[in-house]
Amino acid sequence: MAGPLARRYRRLLLAYPRAYRRSRGEELLSALLDAALPERTRPTAQEAADLIRHGLRARLGRPASRTVVVWAVLSAIISGLFIAGFATRAAWETARPLPKTAEVRTMLAQILPGQEFTGIEDPQAMFVFNGQPLTWDTANDLLWGDGGEYAQSGIGGSVNGAPVIPPQDTVELAQHNLRAHGWTVYPTMTHNMYGCAGPPCDPATIPKSTTILARRSDTRFSMEVHSQYRSDTTSITAGFTRTTPWAVYPLGLTGGILGAVVAFLIFGWASRRTEGRHPAGAAVKKLLCVTLFFWWAPTLYAVPWTARHHLDEPHPSWHPMWEWLGQPTFSLLFLIGCGSALLGLAAAATEPRPDGEPLSTVASS
Amino acid sequence: MREPTFLILTALANESRHGYGIVQEIQVLSAGRVRLLTGTLYTALDRLAAEGLVEHDREEVVDGRLRRYYRLTAEGLALLTAETARLRQLTTAAEARLRSVHPRTA
Repeated sequence: MAGPLARRYRRLLLAYPRAYRRSRGEELLSALLDAALPERTRPTAQEAADLIRHGLRARLGRPASRTVVVWAVLSAIISGLFIAGFATRAAWETARPLPKTAEVRTMLAQILPGQEFTGIEDPQAMFVFNGQPLTWDTANDLLWGDGGEYAQSGIGGSVNGAPVIPPQDTVELAQHNLRAHGWTVYPTMTHNMYGCAGPPCDPATIPKSTTILARRSDTRFSMEVHSQYRSDTTSITAGFTRTTPWAVYPLGLTGGILGAVVAFLIFGWASRRTEGRHPAGAAVKKLLCVTLFFWWAPTLYAVPWTARHHLDEPHPSWHPMWEWLGQPTFSLLFLIGCGSALLGLAAAATEPRPDGEPLSTVASS
Repeated sequence: MREPTFLILTALANESRHGYGIVQEIQVLSAGRVRLLTGTLYTALDRLAAEGLVEHDREEVVDGRLRRYYRLTAEGLALLTAETARLRQLTTAAEARLRSVHPRTA
């Protein structure tokens, strides 16, 4: 069977797994050509969509299963999200290095002229764990509960004791100077520095902390000004971080799509391989459940939490994608899921019993 | 049972048919209302085969095209019989109700 229509149908049949094409491809092609009008040279859009959709379904095997599609979609989505998370972390390497001490002093002098800041030190990395670059030695701590300490690094300093001008004037001056030097200033946030200790409690007497956020190009500025302080406590902290580099978005999107597609194909391979009477079929199903639990649970916990946090206060730059997935706070759970997934794939790769013929090929055998 | 499944089983009730033959028969059975696309049909045939309701019958090559025929199994025939009885009971009940509402039209 040749001709442009047959060739185009064959191309669409690539959506089906290879074994399926070998056993049923000619039959499907015959039925397609029988159904086509003689003058047609191209499949209709409806036919193309139908073949792709059902070809992808055939890749999952287990034709009688009503849940395999759900499991495959869950696996593909979460895998795509995690791969996108890794891709965005890689893309963060394209961010400009943080400003050096001298540049920071210059910018702070523009924002609060005459105010001396102490403790300004060149950062050691763009992301740090407990203030230090992440190393294999500290990875253990990251896994066992301290993952939340892995965060974007910045450079800044603080003022101890009284600032040069009163706190409220400091806030207004900083906002004015930021705008004058081309910064976009976000609405300030004011928080009580502590809650009511108990009656009698007058909230007006509780010291306040005012936060200023601003952004200029790929730099984010934040400054916290405390309304009350002592000579030995901090009255102002100010720092600079980098905003999300543009490469994060295309790389994250590409990584996510590729990850989801690859995960779908791997899921389909394992599903087809373990259908029928595969010796590890039951174990593979259990390992899939374990994997999805340890991958989805932190994500379902972290997404609403991070979304609330984003809605509660202005964000010149969004938190990195992996934090939306609960990583690396729950990295131990993620690793357990990875281990379970690899075990499941290894079990699926074992040879099926000779009589473990997949049910889907019964009709064609 | 969904309508396409019912129609596929019905199309195979009296004789074995190949894929395109099933599509044609379904169009006749549904008075042209249902036209199964080939991808949809073969996914349904795979499912019905996996459930033991249809099975492979024979193969033919016509004009260089492979035609694989399918037939109902005993289980498929029993299920179609039961489903037909269920639908008949529902249809009869609906007709009785409609007669009381529209005596002339029902």
